[in-house]
Amino acid sequence: MTVDALTPWPDTVEWRSVSPKLITVELIVRWSWTVIVAAGLCVGLVLQGHWLWQLGIALVVVNAIWRSFVTVRAVRAWGYAERDQDLLVRHGLLVRRLSIVPYARMQFVDVTAGPLERAFGLATVQLHTAAAASDAQIPGVPPAEAARLRDRLTTLGEDRAEGL
Amino acid sequence: MTAAGPPQPTAPPEAAVAEPRRRLHPLSPVLHGAKSIAVVVAALSWQTLSQVGLERFALVVAVIAVAVVIFSIFGWLTTGYQVVGRELRITDGVIWRRNRAIPLERLQAVELRRPLLAQLTGLAELRLEVIGGGKTEAPLAYLTVREASALRQRLLALAGRTQAAAQPTDQLADAAPAAPAFERPLLRVRNRDLVVSQLLTPQAFFLPVGVAFVVLQFVMEGSWTFVGIASTVTAMAGVLLQPVRRVLQDWDFRLARDPEERLGVRYGLLETRSQIVPLNRVQAVGATWPLLWRGQGWLHLRLAVAGYAGEGGGDAKRSDRLLPVGEFDTARSLVWEVLPGVDLAALATSPPPKRARWLNPIALRSIGVGLTPEVLVTRWGLLTREMHLVPYARLQSVRVVQGPLQRMLGLATVYADTARGRSGQAKDRDLAEAYALAAELAVRARQARKPDSATPEAYWQSPTRP
Repeated sequence: MTVDALTPWPDTVEWRSVSPKLITVELIVRWSWTVIVAAGLCVGLVLQGHWLWQLGIALVVVNAIWRSFVTVRAVRAWGYAERDQDLLVRHGLLVRRLSIVPYARMQFVDVTAGPLERAFGLATVQLHTAAAASDAQIPGVPPAEAARLRDRLTTLGEDRAEGL
Repeated sequence: MTAAGPPQPTAPPEAAVAEPRRRLHPLSPVLHGAKSIAVVVAALSWQTLSQVGLERFALVVAVIAVAVVIFSIFGWLTTGYQVVGRELRITDGVIWRRNRAIPLERLQAVELRRPLLAQLTGLAELRLEVIGGGKTEAPLAYLTVREASALRQRLLALAGRTQAAAQPTDQLADAAPAAPAFERPLLRVRNRDLVVSQLLTPQAFFLPVGVAFVVLQFVMEGSWTFVGIASTVTAMAGVLLQPVRRVLQDWDFRLARDPEERLGVRYGLLETRSQIVPLNRVQAVGATWPLLWRGQGWLHLRLAVAGYAGEGGGDAKRSDRLLPVGEFDTARSLVWEVLPGVDLAALATSPPPKRARWLNPIALRSIGVGLTPEVLVTRWGLLTREMHLVPYARLQSVRVVQGPLQRMLGLATVYADTARGRSGQAKDRDLAEAYALAAELAVRARQARKPDSATPEAYWQSPTRP
């Protein structure tokens, strides 16, 4: 049995990945911040002209480039799968996480969308259980899919139990 | 904001929509705004007032007030609720839109609250309590009182419970000490043991050191300074507070089983408290063997019990003790009582693979995980040994987490989350084993959920208390 931390049970579980458009959204957010910080540092450079400012700008840009590559891989690493009884969510590159959340344990489902996400037609689905520790969050889902997922989750969760 | 254009994630997808989305009361933004303005004024403070003069101050407050109300109005426009089938959907958020779907089966209670401002305007706030959340997850503020009580009736009816059953009074509430006479006593902790056990804590051992320090100071300096003594005494009192509080709190600790098979706990010296714990609310049991108690062979047991935010006046008052101090045999019979079929003496655990030594240089042999037919057992701690029992039926979710160091060693940690208390942790297992364990836990949790005895229906339909 081959074991890979990114795709557990590849034979029995059909993993779905999140929308690649999430990469664009994340990159826009990252580079907006980079531009803001770099602009601030540029002002400092113009006013003071010390080489430390240049170093700061270089660091910020290099960091942003490096993180951009990571973002691309991280979004690709994000995946979810709906099984009969539970939802599987995996994410993370440095720290790899897999969550198994039974539908029967769901307390409520949130579908959220920020302004940028909405502009790209994305939403985030989050499943809440009674345990604060369980993290079943799926970003970068198209709204139709998000609504379908939410309805499926709430329907499956309705087995008339309080979820404890 | 509410403009058309980008597809809205909040759009109901199916034709199951029973009714249009409804808004909160139009006065809500004003009430919300009033709260924020009060905060702003408090933040600006009198000092600012004296600096800028009354006129400017009033202007600033007015501008902020208008801004807050405008923002609140946008918030009000985007906030709505609707009942779709057997679930309640709440939409809110101006910039970050959120659409929350709450299956009504999961509602623990619907509380109608009327804060001062709401009372003045004849409005009410509806709080929907779901379990486990530390805070109320879905407040609907504000509705008219009639609307709120109608919605509440409707939600409770849809949730399939009568209003009386949804009242939290019969659950974890700190009931009055007056108890039915026919309960079966389980245990009474001897006060002598309690005091001795708290003397056998690191804090108590600190006491002679502290006294010696004071005496030494006296000898060295030849004089008592009031400040020196006072500060030492304060420090000692601070350190000793915990064991003393434990003694006061757990004094005359008694456990009983009431006729409905719930656990009755009574304890306290200055303030006698009593709790009723329905056993199907027990999420986990923890056992601790402190180093200093080993001579006596003592241990203490903790319970993790789930409730919700509006219940029983908060968790600060609730004790998590199942056994403040006791011998192994006592603990064993108690665990059997709380988790039937679980024998504390027969819980085998297996340690992680040898290469996990890199991550746990000292305490590797003390870490372990085991699966019994009823519970997941995890064990850790070299000096203070601890054990954590999570019944499969109470598992909320299972997680596998692999950090960078663990990845280099091919290890992973499996977490078994419960609604209250710490998660069961199978630390540093082999990766393949971790996934197998997670899969096994998911399967066992599903099987454990199946029997109807543990479902709330049985609980709700149990004979009601008078």
